[in-house]
Amino acid sequence: MAYLSTTNYLEDKDFIDKWLYTMRTGEMDLSWMKAATEKVKPHEANSRRGLTYRDLDLGSYGFTGVPEKVRGNRSYAPRGAEIPAGVPDAQPWVSRKSEVWAFNTESYYEEAVSRQWNVTTDIPWERLDSVELPETIGKALSQLMTFLTEVEMIATDTPAMWLPRLNPDFIEVKAFIAAQAMDEARHTEAFRKRALTTGWGLMKASPVNEMALKHLRDADSFSEMSVALHLVAEGNVLTMFRFSEYLSPTDVDKRIFRLVMQDEARHVGYGMQHFKYVLENFPEKREVLHAHLDEAENISFAGSAATELTESFIILAGGGLKKENIEEGIKITTKFNLKQMEEHFERLDKCGMPERKQRSKLYQMYEMGRAAAEAAGIKL
Amino acid sequence: MAISFPSTDYFEALKGKMTAQQEKFRRLGFIDTTFGVKVGNNGKARNFVLEFEVFDLKNVREVDAIDLKKVDFMIEGDARVWREMIENIHRNGEADSSHDLNTLAHFGEQLKIVYDDPDGHDKLYRFMESIQKFFDLSSQVEVSFS
Ligand SMILES: [Fe+2]
Ligand SMILES: [Fe+2]
Repeated sequence: MAYLSTTNYLEDKDFIDKWLYTMRTGEMDLSWMKAATEKVKPHEANSRRGLTYRDLDLGSYGFTGVPEKVRGNRSYAPRGAEIPAGVPDAQPWVSRKSEVWAFNTESYYEEAVSRQWNVTTDIPWERLDSVELPETIGKALSQLMTFLTEVEMIATDTPAMWLPRLNPDFIEVKAFIAAQAMDEARHTEAFRKRALTTGWGLMKASPVNEMALKHLRDADSFSEMSVALHLVAEGNVLTMFRFSEYLSPTDVDKRIFRLVMQDEARHVGYGMQHFKYVLENFPEKREVLHAHLDEAENISFAGSAATELTESFIILAGGGLKKENIEEGIKITTKFNLKQMEEHFERLDKCGMPERKQRSKLYQMYEMGRAAAEAAGIKL
Repeated sequence: MAISFPSTDYFEALKGKMTAQQEKFRRLGFIDTTFGVKVGNNGKARNFVLEFEVFDLKNVREVDAIDLKKVDFMIEGDARVWREMIENIHRNGEADSSHDLNTLAHFGEQLKIVYDDPDGHDKLYRFMESIQKFFDLSSQVEVSFS
């Protein structure tokens, strides 16, 4: 056990005497009733919506007043409570607001809670009973689901790892990150269930994918993790889910992808707003963000081009393994690959980093890919 | 009596159905987005702005043109495509797998998603199931096409 209480209460005479004294005499301390805290009375801004975290943005309890550098609280005292001497230092790694903050963080959390869904009961699994997919399509679908399950397992672990590292004053961010971990656990469940219901079992894990995913898990800072996960990886995954919905061989798959894309788009929304927030409030980080992007783009390029993923897409898009299927599949998948890269740069541009294209190796790949597609007669 | 498409009456009719099916839309969650619908017809267009808040369509209005800076995104398409989509929903009770919004709009071949801010664009996907279910309410409305 890494942490031992500094007092052994079970053997501390004073502590035990006080416990028994209160029981015997009914004499109470009650000093907590005089806590030097603010009195507020929050109201619902919109009664249809209910009482939100934003409605609690009041005085010392609010998020607006959280300073850039949180020095006043390193414990688990809830923001706004009186903090007496003697609370332990929870040793948060991140106590700078701009490292974690995003415009509207609290509303992303509220949206997450209100839009939760249930893989077991919200997907019409029974409709699959009458579905018989051709072997190649069934296996390609299962390979896609196997790949996505790997992605979602890391996407669950990664945000969850950062939870105890964030200063407890960042309540709304921590709540959003906790909700994200739940979302990703649900995605893992959805893809695993769909893989197994193809009847072909799981297919093969992807070394390239996992190499790329490990980078997300091992980021040195929250900002680096967020750039790599929320903005780059999940941005790509969002485009991928929309493409997968488009290619889905059954309406059950369509519904799965529509529901997962909702969660994914919310994670990307937080990522974009956080990225914008850092650029606006911590301008000296611009170079560091470029360095994070250099690596994140490297891994996202690798993950997106993984054989296990690309070939499943080609088969699903083309409808099989015949020559004409493959030709058609390559055309459609190439359009998707390029669209995925385009949307990545579009997001960075709008977040306030229009110069990214000039220094990005991924952008060179995009131009190379575009030229190759045009040379191959693929209409973009 | 059949309601003509495109018109604010059509969207108002869907809004009425949405209110009548509160529980279903509450279950899908908050929907906070304002988007445009553009229906092209022989070089002319009818434009609508739909403003969703909490669980409801709060407001719908017809406008001369849609300002992309004032909406999250716009769904644009020829009257023929909209008609085919609505008729398909009517026949099946909901859009079948060739006529849902994402499929029609994915490569911009039938419907097209136009936007100024990618964050606004992503709201289509953040609220996708609610927006799809909103259009699926067309199955409960008699629609005529002008
Ligand atoms: Fe996910
Ligand atoms: Fe995600």
